[in-house]
Amino acid sequence: MTTALLETVAAANRPRQFGLLEKAVDVLSHSRALHALYVRGSLAAGTADRLSDLDFIVAVDDPEFASFVRVADALMAAELGAILPGWHDTIVARMGGLGYVYLVAYEGKLHQIDLYLVPASRLDTVLARTTAMPVYLAEDVAARAHSHVDWFINSTLERPHTPAELLTEVLVLGQMIRKRVSRGQRFIAYAEVFALNTAVKNLIKAALAPGSTFYGWYQLPEEIGATPIGRACLADLDALIRGPAVPTGDDLSTAIGRALAVARRAAPDAVTAFGPAIDAYRHYLDLP
Amino acid sequence: MSVTATPAPLTLPAQVGALRPIAATLVERMRHEAMTVPTDWVIEYGDYQNGGWHTLSLLNDTGDPRDVMIRDCPTPTGTSLLRQMPAVSELLDSLGLKYMWVRLARLDAGSFLWEHRDYGELSAVERHRLHVPLVSNSSAYLVLGGTKVHMGVGRVWRLTPTVPHGVCNLFGPQRMHLMLDCYADEALHAFLDGGECDPAGAQPLPVPSPTNLDEQLATARGLAELGYDQAAETGLLELFYRYAMPEGQVYDLIVNMYASLHRDEDAVRWRTKKNTMLGRN
Repeated sequence: MTTALLETVAAANRPRQFGLLEKAVDVLSHSRALHALYVRGSLAAGTADRLSDLDFIVAVDDPEFASFVRVADALMAAELGAILPGWHDTIVARMGGLGYVYLVAYEGKLHQIDLYLVPASRLDTVLARTTAMPVYLAEDVAARAHSHVDWFINSTLERPHTPAELLTEVLVLGQMIRKRVSRGQRFIAYAEVFALNTAVKNLIKAALAPGSTFYGWYQLPEEIGATPIGRACLADLDALIRGPAVPTGDDLSTAIGRALAVARRAAPDAVTAFGPAIDAYRHYLDLP
Repeated sequence: MSVTATPAPLTLPAQVGALRPIAATLVERMRHEAMTVPTDWVIEYGDYQNGGWHTLSLLNDTGDPRDVMIRDCPTPTGTSLLRQMPAVSELLDSLGLKYMWVRLARLDAGSFLWEHRDYGELSAVERHRLHVPLVSNSSAYLVLGGTKVHMGVGRVWRLTPTVPHGVCNLFGPQRMHLMLDCYADEALHAFLDGGECDPAGAQPLPVPSPTNLDEQLATARGLAELGYDQAAETGLLELFYRYAMPEGQVYDLIVNMYASLHRDEDAVRWRTKKNTMLGRN
């Protein structure tokens, strides 16, 4: 009797993302192309808290890998409530696959789901490099190598990002930094603030100097600052990089507001296309 | 990037309109009640939605708030839920209308009521539906006649639900409306006549190009080929909220998708469902 009562209390206090975890596993495992699904990160390490993201390794039959990647955004939007396309994760280690980060509205909160999509033939390589726990294993399937996979992954990794993709990156990083601020993870917050500022710089370059041959932060005044719109964008970027390296919640709100102002100026079509999603994002992050 | 044509200048569809404003203080009290009082929401009309549309009854013929499948009901009584919501009672009393049924409806993030017609199962007497938005957001809107209409909080809205329409809440937060199904009488006609055309919350949807539809169909086929049938169907049904689509075309696209995959039983199933949703049975 006591055990049953305790189980009731435990169920009532189960972190919200466990419901999302069950839903995600149910959705993703519907495909015959899926060989295995693992969780990694804090869920696998036993250190998850109520802010933890869901971090999956998704092993897909090699011949179906490209098809799976092409429909992943549509799947995540239709079935799991992703409010934006997946951000092609440039922070995750290169382990032979492709990483995407989704922001998902679930039970009144915004959650982060990371999918590391890997050809099934390379799953062992990934598992050797990370702590992971299986949550779904298909029965009676054997990995089939496919020569097209390498080309597909490499060409995806090398493709330049569009302003819309970089705007997605900014918004995802904003959510990630908010989590760091809430947890007091100052060093990771520092790294992610730099990543956010870099994403804003990249967005400006992708929108206003898409053919740029200059590396990184070089030659911005000469190349971007040659026009009024470019100078306005650089003024906002300058304000961003002068912000605190380790932000408070208010600092982060200001930074996201500046980043969105840059996006509205440099890439208005992307902001318009994401308009209602950005409104929702503001609500979930409690931004003004 | 594909190019889409934009329809003619906006006029609010005749089947929807903003009526009289409601005092802001009453709206705030009703919103507070709606967000704090209801529990045990009911998911009904499962064929018409994707699982995120919840309702509870405030006026019906049983007094049970979980009895939410509407039917003709000339003398409704307040449910136990309405007795806990004095501000909502105040509004209903003040309107002085002949109610058939009144519900509180909650539409969660990522939820849809697919393109459909209402009232098909009811007797052929004149009735109208009024909406009172209490909580909403920019990604929550009604679509009919190729126009998206965001029903703003602070007014009573009328809707003729016998024309094909659908509702979405793409990204959240939750949307909450009072839904008042009313029998026509002098008071209702006077109420409706007092309305004004307010196109501020309306926006024409773009007409999809053949390329748009081909791309969407290709994505849906890709999902179905991988085994994600529900996502494929949802992706096509959602086109109703993104483009000005002729009546029933989203259902035809699903039929075509399954036909192209030689899944004839699924094609037949969706052809039948189209007729049900659009009241053609």
